[in-house]
Amino acid sequence: MIPSAFDYRRASSVEEALSLLQSTEDAKFVAGGHSLLPLMKMRFASPGMLIDIRSIQELQSIRRDGNRVVIGALCTHRHIANDETIVQALPALAEAAGRVGDLQVRNRGTIGGNLAHADPASDLPALALLYGATIHAEGPDGPEDYPVEEFFLGPMTTALRPTQLLRSVSFPVPDRGSEVYEKFAHPASGYAVVGVAAWVATDAGGIIQDIRVALNGVGYCAYRATSVEQALFGREATEELLEKASHLATEEVEVLEDVFASENYRRHVAAVFTRRAIRRALDKATR
Amino acid sequence: MTVRFEQSKPQFTGARVERAEDARLLTGRARYLDDLDFPGTLEVAFVRSTHAAAKLVSVHAEAASRMPGVRMVWTAADIHVTLDSPEFGVNQPVLAKDEVRYVGEPVVAIFADSRYAAEDAADTVEVTYADLPPVLHIREALQAETRRVHAERPNVMYHQEYQTDGFEEAFGNALHHLSATFTLHRQTAVPMETRGCMAAPDGATNRLHVYVSHQSPHGFRADLCKFLGVPEHAVRVIVPEVGGAFGIKAMFYPEYVVVALAALRLRRPVKWIADRSECLLADCHARDGIHDVDVAFDGDGRILALRDHLMGDSGAYPAVPFCGSIGETSLAARMLTGPYKIPHLSFTIDCTYSNKAPLGAYRGVWGPPASFVQEGVVDRVARALHKDPVAVRRINLLQPEDFPYRTASGFVYDPGSYAESLETALELVDYDGFRKRQREDRSRGVYRGIGISVFVEPTAMAASEAGDIPYEAATVRMEPTGTVTAALGLGPSGQGHETTMAQLIADELGVDVRDVVVLHGDTDSAPYGGGTGGSRSGTIGGGAALTAGRKLRDKLLALAAHLLEADVADIELKDGAAHVAGVPAQRLTVQQLATAAYTDVNRLPEGMKPGLEVMARYQPTRPITFSNGTHIAVVDVDVATGQIQTVDYVVANDCGVLINPTIVEGQIHGGVAQGIGEALLEELKYDTEGQLTTVSLSDYLLPTTHDIPNIRIRHLVTPSESKGGFKGMGEGSLIAAPAAVVAAVSDALEPFGVMVSSMPVTPDQVLEWIDADQEKKVDSVDSKVYFEN
Repeated sequence: MIPSAFDYRRASSVEEALSLLQSTEDAKFVAGGHSLLPLMKMRFASPGMLIDIRSIQELQSIRRDGNRVVIGALCTHRHIANDETIVQALPALAEAAGRVGDLQVRNRGTIGGNLAHADPASDLPALALLYGATIHAEGPDGPEDYPVEEFFLGPMTTALRPTQLLRSVSFPVPDRGSEVYEKFAHPASGYAVVGVAAWVATDAGGIIQDIRVALNGVGYCAYRATSVEQALFGREATEELLEKASHLATEEVEVLEDVFASENYRRHVAAVFTRRAIRRALDKATR
Repeated sequence: MTVRFEQSKPQFTGARVERAEDARLLTGRARYLDDLDFPGTLEVAFVRSTHAAAKLVSVHAEAASRMPGVRMVWTAADIHVTLDSPEFGVNQPVLAKDEVRYVGEPVVAIFADSRYAAEDAADTVEVTYADLPPVLHIREALQAETRRVHAERPNVMYHQEYQTDGFEEAFGNALHHLSATFTLHRQTAVPMETRGCMAAPDGATNRLHVYVSHQSPHGFRADLCKFLGVPEHAVRVIVPEVGGAFGIKAMFYPEYVVVALAALRLRRPVKWIADRSECLLADCHARDGIHDVDVAFDGDGRILALRDHLMGDSGAYPAVPFCGSIGETSLAARMLTGPYKIPHLSFTIDCTYSNKAPLGAYRGVWGPPASFVQEGVVDRVARALHKDPVAVRRINLLQPEDFPYRTASGFVYDPGSYAESLETALELVDYDGFRKRQREDRSRGVYRGIGISVFVEPTAMAASEAGDIPYEAATVRMEPTGTVTAALGLGPSGQGHETTMAQLIADELGVDVRDVVVLHGDTDSAPYGGGTGGSRSGTIGGGAALTAGRKLRDKLLALAAHLLEADVADIELKDGAAHVAGVPAQRLTVQQLATAAYTDVNRLPEGMKPGLEVMARYQPTRPITFSNGTHIAVVDVDVATGQIQTVDYVVANDCGVLINPTIVEGQIHGGVAQGIGEALLEELKYDTEGQLTTVSLSDYLLPTTHDIPNIRIRHLVTPSESKGGFKGMGEGSLIAAPAAVVAAVSDALEPFGVMVSSMPVTPDQVLEWIDADQEKKVDSVDSKVYFEN
């Protein structure tokens, strides 16, 4: 429960952070520290240097830019959950951010750290997938954008290069439909045993015109449950169809198993929470 | 006999006096073990076994010795002390020698300038293991052909049998029978402050000062001196603020010997504080038992005979000084009939070694398992007969006229409010209204259940995990200014003894409770005592405080009578003064009396010795006094996910005369929280290799405020024969709560035919039970019938 020795530097600008990163082999950025520090205390991670980017002002804002919302990497979960722009434009993101971990984690943890860490049980990756977010990185060769579909590569693995800093994430604002986040929170950590983000748009007759469903906590990284989406697309979500479609939630992935939840149990609750998420999205007043 | 609680006549006893401890605890000024920091202190990191069962092929720690800041490295070759359990013929080397027997067993100790340096060095130690087949399950250990955990001893380390006369006949003649198996998984206490100790040679006295987070300062000193081979006057034990203990800190552990011997060797302070993984790996564990139960009953639900084969997993070594598996099973067996008039009892106990951490004491010890079985039996009888669980309890419960009651195992219960506590709790929870609403809920697909647990708690026992000291001692000294310094040999870890003992003494001496300071936790100032455990401190310690207070009061009265020239029978002592009854003006303050006693000794009556200081011991006349009460839990079960939420909770509690209701309620709140944890969350999981997979609090699930509903409590008061009329109550809430919660789960899932048979109840387990029942419904029409005949 004690980390091995490491150097600590504080960067006050993106440029300084990037140059510190290049100055040594095994440096890691730290912002909220709520993912990295526990790993270091268990000696599962032993970076030689921590570069604290917490005080970089330009990464701390949330702004509306046309039909997108751009969120700085250092925005905390609490900030996102309570930000009026996000509550209005991206309600499921606000809902998910408000249910990350516990109060202390939400006060310290950041969206940039959360996405870059890519813990399979994190809440926000499913929201990034749901909305089709773009991740904006900065590196020695300049800026680079990653569509979210190409960002999460595996557990704790993203497309981000070792020399890059995640600067911000931009979310397109849906022009119709409604979306929610349903979560089975781990009783101790608050991580998602299963987290389901669902966005549904229906016509006046209740026929599903468009649907997206993204899950985290279930597979090695967050994913879109395309089988569920296809099963419901263009149809009316009767209880029977919804029940049937929800069971496709784990079709495309290898389901995780851990001390708390067996593979079978996780598969089962993934279906239950998928059904609940879609049902609630359908019941919610649309835009 | 039973009366509703009212504030009793004395000024402080029975009142909701604010805890003297709280100001420092709530403002962060309390000083715990790790807050003590002496110059030159070395810190310890232990390298612990990563294998459950293995021969130690080699231990290479040379590289660690050369690491910066490292002052000394010890392996089994450097320290030859063993924790001996002569009655079992098993000795545990304080650092594993030749063989490791559980994951987490200390193998190497590294002493360095800081914990950081010690941990870095620990990473360089190379241990080579040759694996042996681990023994991990009780039923496996019971098989003669299973490999022995200790080659020279059989795996069954304790066996006992008992049966009432006429058992077989009573059992055989009964109309109905049912059988059930109850399984309790392994858990541990997880105090907020982890275990630890610091040893510092005292240059001035040439003694060893040992600071330790422990429940029994004198018991700890005795054990340490025994294993170190040093006399007790050469060791001073100091227990600073303790952040929770719950039985695991009544135990003695190998690390303490290593730390103390290293301090003596290096002539420097040496400190070790367990981290959270060490807490989960190497604090003593608890529960891990199986009960194979057979019950005989008549058509009304009257239970006629109860048979239990109790099996307990002791872990790799018998914990010192209290082997938890034996403690849990032997007392569970004797208490198995609980508050019910069950005339016949038969039990067999088997405790076995395994390649898991040693089993010791955890709050409630025998109680949570016994309540689980006892209440589970009653609920099964009710369900088998299609009767309300309350009706079956009313038929079997002890009634006021039954006391004193001799149980089938030979315990004699002193009077209690067993039947009344049930009725009180039913009223508090609105049982009849609940049943009406439950039917409506179920028709809407909401599965809400109610569970009842009527408990009996043997308290203030002569022997407990805190040791075999049947008495407690108190010194009470009135200082020349009239304020009071008292000392007891208790070992509080949050129970508020500084407050409750001061309340009792203040009432005896007629002074303000704030003018009494209560010392404890230092063998240099505290009289020899048994420490805190087994719900003994309030009753036995309180009796000692009263006895000493009374003795000093008598002296004050005699002195006042002499100085006021009145008859001693006419002197009243209250509000800080002694005065002649009916003549308020004729008075002396306690300060005036105290000053006279110390400095104006010529005025003392003939034969009275100077000073105002007494020491008294108190041993209750009865070896045990039994507390009782009823807990009722209400839970919601989400049958789609198996998640369970406790939504309501009531307690009717009878611990005799209350010293401080706020403190009693705090104890109940904590016990209920731990009980909900035990019933629904907490489990130490070993995998098939014997690896503990729950080594952090992200995997070992503790209850949080989200899991605990508002708890409504009503007090009943059936005084005991002990001085003051007190009964212990430290464990009753944890004894009763798990059984109430799991019974509520069973009740919620009654439509599925589910009866909870293992703790904790996990969500996946709930779904399995529901699914199994649905399969049974297809297979067999009589799946809900428990009858064997």
